[in-house]
Amino acid sequence: MIFRNIRFKLTLWYIVILGIILTSFSTFLYLTLSRSLYNGIDVKIKSIAEVIASSSTNPYSQYSFSSLDRMLKDSFSLRPVTKFIQVLDESGRIGKKSDNLQNFQLPISIRALKNASQGSITFETTKAFGKYPLRMVTVPVIQGRRVINIVQVATSLEEVEEALKTLLLILWITVPSALGFASLGGLFLANKALKPVDEITKTARMITSSSLNQRIKLKKTKDEIGRLAETFNDMISRLGRSFKQIRQFSADASHELRTPLTILKGEIEVGLRRRRRPEEYRKILDSNLEEVNHMTQIVDDLLFLSKADMGEIHLKKNRINLTGLISEVGTQVKVIAMAKNIRVHISNDSGVAVIGDRLRLRELLLNLVDNGVKYTPEGGEMRISVERDDGRVKLCVLDNGIGIAPEDQPHIFDRFFRVDKARSREAGGSGLGLSICKWIVEAHGGEISVESGVGKGSIFTVTLPLAPPDEGTG
Amino acid sequence: MRILVVEDEKKVASFIKKGLEEENYAVDIAYDGEEGLVLAEINEYDLVLLDIMLPKLDGMEVLRRIRGNGSGVPILMLTAKDAVEDIVSGLDSGSDDYLTKPFSFAELLARVRALLRRKTKEKTDFLTIGDLILSTSTHRVKRGGKEIELTAKEYALLEYLMRNPNRILTRTLITEHVWDYHFDPSTNVIDVYVNYLRKKIDQGFEKKLIHTIRGSGYMIKDEP
Repeated sequence: MIFRNIRFKLTLWYIVILGIILTSFSTFLYLTLSRSLYNGIDVKIKSIAEVIASSSTNPYSQYSFSSLDRMLKDSFSLRPVTKFIQVLDESGRIGKKSDNLQNFQLPISIRALKNASQGSITFETTKAFGKYPLRMVTVPVIQGRRVINIVQVATSLEEVEEALKTLLLILWITVPSALGFASLGGLFLANKALKPVDEITKTARMITSSSLNQRIKLKKTKDEIGRLAETFNDMISRLGRSFKQIRQFSADASHELRTPLTILKGEIEVGLRRRRRPEEYRKILDSNLEEVNHMTQIVDDLLFLSKADMGEIHLKKNRINLTGLISEVGTQVKVIAMAKNIRVHISNDSGVAVIGDRLRLRELLLNLVDNGVKYTPEGGEMRISVERDDGRVKLCVLDNGIGIAPEDQPHIFDRFFRVDKARSREAGGSGLGLSICKWIVEAHGGEISVESGVGKGSIFTVTLPLAPPDEGTG
Repeated sequence: MRILVVEDEKKVASFIKKGLEEENYAVDIAYDGEEGLVLAEINEYDLVLLDIMLPKLDGMEVLRRIRGNGSGVPILMLTAKDAVEDIVSGLDSGSDDYLTKPFSFAELLARVRALLRRKTKEKTDFLTIGDLILSTSTHRVKRGGKEIELTAKEYALLEYLMRNPNRILTRTLITEHVWDYHFDPSTNVIDVYVNYLRKKIDQGFEKKLIHTIRGSGYMIKDEP
């Protein structure tokens, strides 16, 4: 449980790493120090032994220790009291020894004696007497290829061992306590660094779909946590916006569906309240069918838009001859327009092509044109034009109908936005047509805009990327 | 009983009018808030059905202005929104009741009857004058236990008279509450209908209930 906590994890890692560093450092320190101390002793006893050896070229019997003392004093400026010195003959019998040895004598191993007879020096650590081991060097004195004497110099390792023991003790105390302090410090730092994270967690836990106006309150810093909080706040804002949109959208959708439902329910109920003539029932059923069709349209459009929002509508992109498509739609539109005595002019730049989904582009055109017919009074005029414009295709649908007020223009592509609710419903609109147009245009990498004056008419302009030139049919 | 329906959705207004007229109410329709307010000011209605979302003048505003003019006409709000705030603010601004769309027509009729009843202090659907009983829900009329068959217009006229007993009702008042705005006031239709009613209700009974007040109009009363 505690290891799920990031501050303990961090501290633990910190301690492990610091522990490894301190331990290796201590080991290194200990080993280096002990080696250099031992080496120092070896160098010292060897140099004393060599000085003695160089001066004792006579057999040990003629050896005078008083002169040895004097000589050592000359060489090392003071007599090394802690050094035990012993001179043997070539067979290993003890001749002279220094006073500090008193009754003791330095041992001589077979190996050292053998080495000496071959003229080489031997270093040994031995436990001859006393509490501490002795470090001892055995040096042969050679004269004319013959070993005449053997000089042994030894010193107690007391100081070295004591020094190393003290060092070890110090390390045993300081390393763990350093680690202890470091872990406290590490925990403190981790706490300090992670406190804002706790803050974020607390806020995040409190946020539900109904409280998306909450924000994480942090001092404005540009560090990682500051950025995290900022990102988090941005995310909440975006969530808030989309929640609001969804809420608005479902409210609008249910309202849109409620009107036809009210009509259906009311007409049917009133119809059933008494016995009627067949023509009356027929009239009711006709009206009901109209409402059912209207609801179907709304549901279809809603489904399209929600699929589009989820990215579930895939465009089948092909090279589309826009000129051909417009002629095709134009023929269809003229039939609808004729009923209202509206003249439709089509000015078509030949051979304009785009990359797109034929079905969707057709829907776009029909929606725009149908809209134009709806809001143009009898005897009006409409114009559909397509032209190349700076590497793009500009498609305009123009009418001289009722127009759109400036304050409404920014909203006409919003879902369920209606300039005139009743009028739009009577014309059979779902309130989603222009939203769908906008989606189709944007899915094709284009833009849609409107220019309009009340009573003058409207121009819907769609710009789409021009298809790259085609070697084939074009 | 004359009802004003303020509703911009033509088909909704149309079925409400049809349904109410079949229940012998006189119904006028206004398709926007301004028109509704004007009609409510120039005519005397017994009830107003008011939609909230209206073009030109919002239903809430129409409500406030009707009440601002000092009119106490019962107002039933129709709303597509079931948002509590709308209902609360409607009731606070002086509406008497509300219905959310889509509503059941039977419920609408029941609420209309309930609101019309308030003025007469009746607690049931029955109006009585002496031994004459009228049921506003079934539209059946009995006098002395005998069922009387009435046409829709005769029923509407009798209902209006019975809702206002012991009161002189002028021809203008009767016109306003029993006929809709298509009625031509220059005819003597009212006198003709009152005579029809008299024949069906008072003929054969010693005690006459419908009285002519010379020069003024008509009155229904139990006392001689």
